[in-house]
Amino acid sequence: MSVAEIDTTQEEVAPKRRAWWRRLLADRAAALALAALVLIVGAALLAPLIAPYDPFRSSRLVMAPPVWDERGTWAHVLGTDGQGRDMLTRILYGTRITLLIGVVAVVVGGLLGSLLGLVAAFYRRLDPFVMRLVDVMLSFPAILLGLALVAVIGPGIWPVIIALAIATIPDCARIGRSIAVSVMEQEYIEAGRAVGLSNAALFRRYLVRNCISSIMIFISLRFGQVILIGAALSFLGLGARPPTAELGMMAAQGRDFLLFAPHIAVIPSVVIFVIVLAANVAGDALRDVLDPRLRT
Amino acid sequence: MAPDAPLLAVEDLKVHFAVEGRRYRAVDGVSFAVDRGRTLGVVGESGCGKSVTSLAIMRLVSQPPGIYAGGRIVFGGTDLLALPEGRMRALRGGRIGMIFQEPMTSLNPVYTCGDQIVESLRVHSGLSRRAARARAVELLDLVRLPSPAKRADDYPHQLSGGQRQRVMIALALANSPDLLIADEPTTALDVTIQAQILELMKDLQERTGTAILLITHDLGVVAETCDEIVVMYAGTIVERAPTQALFADPQHPYTIGLMAAVPRIDVEAERLATIEGSVPPPWAELRGCRFAGRCPLADERCRREPPPLRPLATGHDVACWYAPIERRAA
Repeated sequence: MSVAEIDTTQEEVAPKRRAWWRRLLADRAAALALAALVLIVGAALLAPLIAPYDPFRSSRLVMAPPVWDERGTWAHVLGTDGQGRDMLTRILYGTRITLLIGVVAVVVGGLLGSLLGLVAAFYRRLDPFVMRLVDVMLSFPAILLGLALVAVIGPGIWPVIIALAIATIPDCARIGRSIAVSVMEQEYIEAGRAVGLSNAALFRRYLVRNCISSIMIFISLRFGQVILIGAALSFLGLGARPPTAELGMMAAQGRDFLLFAPHIAVIPSVVIFVIVLAANVAGDALRDVLDPRLRT
Repeated sequence: MAPDAPLLAVEDLKVHFAVEGRRYRAVDGVSFAVDRGRTLGVVGESGCGKSVTSLAIMRLVSQPPGIYAGGRIVFGGTDLLALPEGRMRALRGGRIGMIFQEPMTSLNPVYTCGDQIVESLRVHSGLSRRAARARAVELLDLVRLPSPAKRADDYPHQLSGGQRQRVMIALALANSPDLLIADEPTTALDVTIQAQILELMKDLQERTGTAILLITHDLGVVAETCDEIVVMYAGTIVERAPTQALFADPQHPYTIGLMAAVPRIDVEAERLATIEGSVPPPWAELRGCRFAGRCPLADERCRREPPPLRPLATGHDVACWYAPIERRAA
């Protein structure tokens, strides 16, 4: 064993488990995105506790501008909407629903989709069947699917969630498969077989573990898109029913007042924008930090 | 099983690949045997079927496209090709260990080296987590990895190529296998590390009594480590002899060509000798000797009839119509 060999490993050992979140926070953009996400998610979760008003009660102040406008008041920090309901309260409750739709759809669709993809890559015999199924699913636009489901189940957030989950499956299956196929070609898969591992152990400990970080990043990037499509569906009137607050629906309602009370449409849109952007940036940074293959 | 039966006997093994309607005869009628505690080297250039042979013994040739087209692989008295998958799996990593060519890619990057050895130990011997861990550190020490307890917690990317190959060897030896298959174990390593790894394998063999099947294209490696050598060409064995005999008196024109192509420090030569041409593509339908196209001695008969592998001296078999060559020349 040469001295040089020993030295290099010790150098590499040092930064090893230096807490990954510390490295994450060292990235300024990631830290900002994460802070924004934590703030938004926290505020949404705590909505019933911190919201200043009842989200369904109207006040006499209709279309009051936000506080930074010269006519704004501190009573309604973000102003009120066309029916005199407090915007801040509606935003807090609306973010809840929007996040719920996005999270459930992405988690369910992402898990099912990537599992399909991994299975297709692992059992090559199944590959053509799984991929044709995915192709079929891919040819259904999410919005059309949402419309069809609303027609069948009736309006509400569940048809939207189901439509979004189904729309997430094919992309995740394709990405999952392509990642898994490249992992399956690695020599360590063969080495794992040579050690005598069962298919189940090989799948779980070798394939899934080596794919998961790349798949997670893709799913987290999908999260932003799904929030957007979900908001779009609500904007089209397919999702949550009034008077439930949902960001996309709020933006839709606000567009009638766009000229004289732009804040009613703009504020929910900005919140959607921030959620999507923060999710994308944070997802990217998480991958950089968590993927052991990118560690140096 | 008879006490003098070899540990591993490969008998007329044929492994083909069916790709796009064509049949690639990667291994076409190969026979050899490895005795307990001995080392057999399999040499040949790229594409001659050596790696497929080693994968076939582990039954890791993926089907499709691979086809076990014939022959038997008898290990410890049982034919591996007839074994159900479950029992074959128990042999892999248990009684047969395997070392791969690329130490950089043959360890699972998301688990520590220690965990991978622990995994193999627990799959085969049902040791407790703690006992397996202690044994893993012991094994890493056995392959002379410095500070093995610390290295066990390292991920593969934190180790150098030589260190990873040591971990691979520890992994392959974890369950004290009777047979160790080493597929080009030193090819991806620096020359100095190569020597260390070979020495380590030799040393471990003496201690554990495991038989080694060493697959390589490097004649220097087999010369140093093997008791017996099999030379493969285009999916068949062209010559088989004890190491001493092979180097002293190579008989097949291909073996002679291979040896002439090894640079030697004691012989001045303008340029290295080469063997003209390349290995025939595996889908080629060859009727005669597969080396005929590149052989300086080839005649009509060579192109028409494949030469059988026949004994020349004790333990020295050659598949060439012209052998014994030296005597003919004299």
